[in-house]
Amino acid sequence: MAGAAEFVEADNAEAIITRIETKSRKIESLLKQFKHVEALKTALEGSPPKTRDERCKSANWIVVHRAIMVIKDIDGMLNALDVEYYDILMKYLYRGLSTGDRPTCDQCLKIHEKLTERAGLGCILRCLTDTVNTV
Amino acid sequence: HDQIVSGIDWSSTSNKIVTVSHDRNSYVWSLEGGEWVPTLVILRLNRAALCVQWSPKENKFAVGSGAKTVCICYYEQENNWWVSKLIRKRHESSVTSVAWHPNNILLATTSTDGKCRVFSTFIKGVDTKDSKAGSSAESKFGEQILQLDLSYSWAFGVKWSPSGNTLAYVGHSSMIYFVDDVGPSPLAQSVAFRDLPLRDVLFISEKMVIGVGYDSNPMVFAADDTGIWSFTRYIGEKKAASSGSSYSSQFSEAFGKFYGQSKAATANDASESSKSRGGVHDNCINSIVPLSKAGSPKVMRFSTSGLDGKIAIWDLENMQEELGHQF
Repeated sequence: MAGAAEFVEADNAEAIITRIETKSRKIESLLKQFKHVEALKTALEGSPPKTRDERCKSANWIVVHRAIMVIKDIDGMLNALDVEYYDILMKYLYRGLSTGDRPTCDQCLKIHEKLTERAGLGCILRCLTDTVNTV
Repeated sequence: HDQIVSGIDWSSTSNKIVTVSHDRNSYVWSLEGGEWVPTLVILRLNRAALCVQWSPKENKFAVGSGAKTVCICYYEQENNWWVSKLIRKRHESSVTSVAWHPNNILLATTSTDGKCRVFSTFIKGVDTKDSKAGSSAESKFGEQILQLDLSYSWAFGVKWSPSGNTLAYVGHSSMIYFVDDVGPSPLAQSVAFRDLPLRDVLFISEKMVIGVGYDSNPMVFAADDTGIWSFTRYIGEKKAASSGSSYSSQFSEAFGKFYGQSKAATANDASESSKSRGGVHDNCINSIVPLSKAGSPKVMRFSTSGLDGKIAIWDLENMQEELGHQF
């Protein structure tokens, strides 16, 4: 992932937030062109797992949320997504489910079912046990 | 023993059994005239003992404990008595599993702090200094050689490969870790797999590992010719690829409620297969032990035991072609 080195410095919060803003502009343009899968990939790519800063995590969550809500063809999306993104997507799905917001939960639940079929219970396990890289 | 016996190991050459228990004690049992006679070993622990293993030369054994320490016990001929030396440093939490390197000096441990560590357990008078191996620098007792930070969750089940070149251990996050060329510059690989976490592993050859755990079905992992480890297959019946019926009836009901759909249709055929989940074990497999000559490079038979109270013996004789050339 480009810029992976920056994740290690947890105090670069401002830099990360600016990067998330540029990313969200890119995603908006991708969504306008109906490139939903690309948008989701870009959103998941820059996930800042090693920061403790809640603002970074929330900022990234908003971007991912936007990309998740527009997905209509779940199977196609999962087909196009690489295996390494499954774990991160699962973490964001659980964050979505924790919001309690009806449309978000519906969408997250639908994706969760398909993702579990593909990735297996191990994927869920990894989300539950990973307390270091939370989203 | 007054409490749960948490670890047991049988030395094949000297024919002694060592047991450790939650009552913080350990006994070495010797066969005298047809009866097993226990000898108490004072471990000097203030918490439960969790696991035990005889060293390859069977002159020492290692005990992992909940007191964040590892006890190395050796026999003192003059006093006719087993003495325990503790490795107190380094561990931040309970030591779940220990494994001896074939050179009888290096010991690998896993702990619930998620880390795997390798220590030297050189004891003067018991071990002889190996002049050829470059281990003279680390031959102080209790010296940590290596610490592996690969897992974020509890680590279990560490084992060395037959040559001592590779280390494998399991993390509770459904991951298995392989470390090649253990030493100053190790090569680590983390393999994530689909299903429930493993509890214990066994090297059946230099390049093949069997993992057992909460899935109640042993899994085979193999390293290909470039040295990359990956999951190969299950032993025994192969699970259906990715259909809903690959989960047991308990899971389908739970998932059914979760997704708010009626799983009445699938519940019917799930209930037929619920008892015959296939496979041998009904519950988590806790331990896997080889049934072959110690030091032989290939393990043809092994036994597994689990929380369902069953012990199963598996024979790999017929599976040689299916396992491939790494076996």
